[in-house]
Amino acid sequence: MRLIFLRGALLALVVAIWELIARPLDPVLYVAPSTLPQAALRLLNQPDIPPLLEHLGATVRAILAAYALAVTAGLALGFLMGFWRVVARAYEPILAALYAVPSVVWYPSMMLLFGLGTASKVAFGFLLGFFPIVLAVLAGIKQADPHLLTVATSMGASRWAIYWKVLIPGMAGTLAGGLRSGLALSVVGVLAGELLGSRAGIGYMINHVYNLLRTPEYVALAVLMATLVLAVDSAAGRLEARVKRWTG
Amino acid sequence: MTAEHIVVRDVRKTYQTATGPVSAVEGVSLTVHAQEFLTILGPSGCGKSTVLAMIGGLVPPDGGTIVVNGTAARRPDPKSVAMVFQDPGLFPWRTALHNVWFGPELQGTARSAREEAARRLLESVGLKGFESKYPRELSGGMRQRVAIARALALGSPILLMDEPFGALDEQTRILMGEWLGGIRLQARKTILFVTHSIQEAIALSDRIVVMTARPGRVKDVVSVSLPYPRDLNTPDAVALRARLWSQIREESLRAMAQEQA
Amino acid sequence: MDRVGVARLQVASLATLALAWEAASRLRLVDPLFVPPPTAVVASMGTVIQQALPRLGDTLLKTAVGYAIAVGLGVGLGVLIGSVQTLRQVTMPYVVALYSLPKILVIPWIVLILGVRAPAAILGGVLFAFFPVLVLVVGGVRDVEPVLVTIAASMGASRWQLYQKVVIPAALPAILAGMRIGLVFALVGVLLTEMFAGIRGMGFLMQQLALSFNAAQLFAATALVSVFSIVAVLSLDALNQHLGKWR
Repeated sequence: MRLIFLRGALLALVVAIWELIARPLDPVLYVAPSTLPQAALRLLNQPDIPPLLEHLGATVRAILAAYALAVTAGLALGFLMGFWRVVARAYEPILAALYAVPSVVWYPSMMLLFGLGTASKVAFGFLLGFFPIVLAVLAGIKQADPHLLTVATSMGASRWAIYWKVLIPGMAGTLAGGLRSGLALSVVGVLAGELLGSRAGIGYMINHVYNLLRTPEYVALAVLMATLVLAVDSAAGRLEARVKRWTG
Repeated sequence: MTAEHIVVRDVRKTYQTATGPVSAVEGVSLTVHAQEFLTILGPSGCGKSTVLAMIGGLVPPDGGTIVVNGTAARRPDPKSVAMVFQDPGLFPWRTALHNVWFGPELQGTARSAREEAARRLLESVGLKGFESKYPRELSGGMRQRVAIARALALGSPILLMDEPFGALDEQTRILMGEWLGGIRLQARKTILFVTHSIQEAIALSDRIVVMTARPGRVKDVVSVSLPYPRDLNTPDAVALRARLWSQIREESLRAMAQEQA
Repeated sequence: MDRVGVARLQVASLATLALAWEAASRLRLVDPLFVPPPTAVVASMGTVIQQALPRLGDTLLKTAVGYAIAVGLGVGLGVLIGSVQTLRQVTMPYVVALYSLPKILVIPWIVLILGVRAPAAILGGVLFAFFPVLVLVVGGVRDVEPVLVTIAASMGASRWQLYQKVVIPAALPAILAGMRIGLVFALVGVLLTEMFAGIRGMGFLMQQLALSFNAAQLFAATALVSVFSIVAVLSLDALNQHLGKWR
């Protein structure tokens, strides 16, 4: 109980300080929290601001497309590599090395290959989301409890049965974690792509209001997007926790 | 008249738990004489570790007094008291040698002096040649010996030992007990030893304080006048064991019932 | 298959990939304007290195500064928060929430305040690198075995000695893990800010190359940055291994 109170107090304190600091300063540069609700309304009403819901929809569609690709490719490649240990030993180090590269360096190449439209955002979101998923599959397979596999084999389980009834349930937790990270990264990828140059989406809207120096609207958009991402990630987190509880 | 090294008078300790206050120790008094080996014997949860922690200055008593080597025990006093726990608690990132010289290092002793003292101590606990080994390369018994060497490095006249051999297998346990008995005579330390093993208590102690189940009180104080080296198969030893067991058994049953509650 | 065999497989598959790519590009199966053959990429390496090296140095300098600040703040705050239970329980939910937010949303504001200049890129790097370092350090400090602290305290260690000789060495693996992740993130933050704001540096250069359809040079530049990053991370990994040999 006391904790909840303290946490709430911390949040209130931060917002209050933000308000106090921002109010006397240049409103173009520093946005006080109290200006946000009106800015949000303006986002929905004013004619020189592009339609919010339309662009939000565009972003969400791009994220879903990128994530779907990332999940498909990530799971496929992961299990392929898992099935053939040789393939894994050869390519996992390469994947790990690629993961050490700052993801954003791929973006100019995506822009070059796919243009400034949605395709480059989806491609970038796919690239970012793909890695945690495939690495999670590989980690899950590697961490499989060999004793459980021994037990199943001693009971006469076929290779398929071991895969489906022992290995995959056993790695469900790690997999859930990877899928969650993949989603978070796909979101970042699409948003980054949009912010760096696009014609649609929340990132495009942010750029638009930002260039008009309408900072409160930009902050309102950022807060909106942040809230959505947080909500989705916390839901994903709860799902992950439930999967982990179920698989022990 | 031997000097009194540790005087515990009527100490109490109550813990606040989620389900309300729990009295761990209630009115315990005991005295440890200089260079004596005193064992506190009792069932699990009887508060013996708490008594030791209070004597070591790690936990303040809620009532009563504790005087160690002339001063009240309010905070850890490495000049008077060194502690060894069931978990050897060796610093895993330090070699055996660097673990042993930790105390002197804290006190600012010069490196060459610390090193020489640490090497001698490791040799005296039978671990010559293992100075540069990391804890993960040592067995359980070896780790505990390093922990004891580390405690001895403080040079304090009193050693508090809280079930130091509890995590070891039976054979190692017995051997370590024999070894400790030898070290003790050599090093002339006052040792306050906590255990739930009657065999250990009889093999090592000059006196045994038997504690009740929670809330811990002193049930009996028994002198052990068996000659060294201790043979636990003599009639005297067997009789002593039977006597201690009948007392402990009663308290152990009570302790088990507490756990179920 | 043994290690040599695995290495042969890696080389063989990469070579096959390179050959296929070369063929596809030369035979115009893919538009060579967008996908230049590997030989063209290699050929442009010379120009790229000449042009890009100062830019890369620029970016790396900003990254180093941002990284140092992020690590200093992250480790300092992390040790503090990790060792005080109430503080940890109150602040960590917020830290974790902030960590999972796309920090890219803050970059426009940073550029607004600090302008289209290096400090904005540095702050971008700090922003991205700070959180993973903080989270991992807090976790590492929280997980220090209490018995180690008890023993050191019983041996008369002062508060400062406890931190210096017990808490930090014990949490070091986690601290190093945080620093390793933080390095890549710092670079991401700097590059992203450069790209968004058009600040002079490697990020901006790469964007320019992309917008002017200079595919061969762009791929070469991408490879250059990638190699640097991989080497840096592998070095940190090796350091981590060496320092952690007691585990």
